[in-house]
Amino acid sequence: MSETGSENYVLFTRIKRGDDLTQVGTLRAPSDELAKLYAKQIYDEEDWVEMHVVKKSNLIPVRLPEGLLEKEGVK
Amino acid sequence: MADKQSNPLVTVAETIADNKFIMGDKLVEVGVSGPTLEASLSSISMAQGELGHARLLYRWSYEVQGLRAGKIDVKEQTGKAFSQIVNASNWVDLIAGLYVNNVAIDLVLKELMKNKKEELNAQFDKMLNEQEEHLIYAEDWSHQLINDKGAIPKRFEAQVDEAARAAAKWLDEVQNDEHLQGSGAVSKNSDLPGQFNTVINKLPLDRNVTYVG
Repeated sequence: MSETGSENYVLFTRIKRGDDLTQVGTLRAPSDELAKLYAKQIYDEEDWVEMHVVKKSNLIPVRLPEGLLEKEGVK
Repeated sequence: MADKQSNPLVTVAETIADNKFIMGDKLVEVGVSGPTLEASLSSISMAQGELGHARLLYRWSYEVQGLRAGKIDVKEQTGKAFSQIVNASNWVDLIAGLYVNNVAIDLVLKELMKNKKEELNAQFDKMLNEQEEHLIYAEDWSHQLINDKGAIPKRFEAQVDEAARAAAKWLDEVQNDEHLQGSGAVSKNSDLPGQFNTVINKLPLDRNVTYVG
């Protein structure tokens, strides 16, 4: 039972109206449907007013951290 | 208790409750060793749901018998759970049973709710919504197992067949029960076995089989 085809998803939630939408975790799932279900079942510690899963590959990087070793001049 | 023996609605309620009780048990026992962390955590979370549904249905079966339900403390099933899920000992068996049984249960509950709206809708609505999620989970995992490697697809297919034969037999009994039809709980033309076969045959298995009761 391999995880072939699974993708990383990032989970964002808002606890109450007016609160920030915050990243609370990540998960791996083979489909959007299962990603939504995993998010609901696993991250049920709060009565979230809002919850989103986003495929990590769909995040568009604007700025990324420089590799640590690279920054320190280690080749 | 004499009424219990003669009331097919009690038998239907207990059959569904027993299967949900066993599925809840297996979602923990087998699900804790699921193939991924997410699958295991969801499995254990859904187990709470299935056990809650079982308690709700046992309470309803008490009410149908005119008994005071009170707080239901379920220690064991009444012996009506299907053998495939009772004997499930690994992930493949669990997913096959979870999917097939919930498809059959979903059809029967929707049929009862269609015909007994006022009595059932308020107490069963939440259960049906949760059950929809359990079906999505089991169906998605069914597709993954069918597309897996080695002996897994064949083993899964055999387990679907075993579970589906028992479920189809039960649906046939429910559909053709004169008392259930006479009391208006089940419509004569609802064709529960036909609906069941249509749903199960949407799984991309190697063949198209009609399961008969």
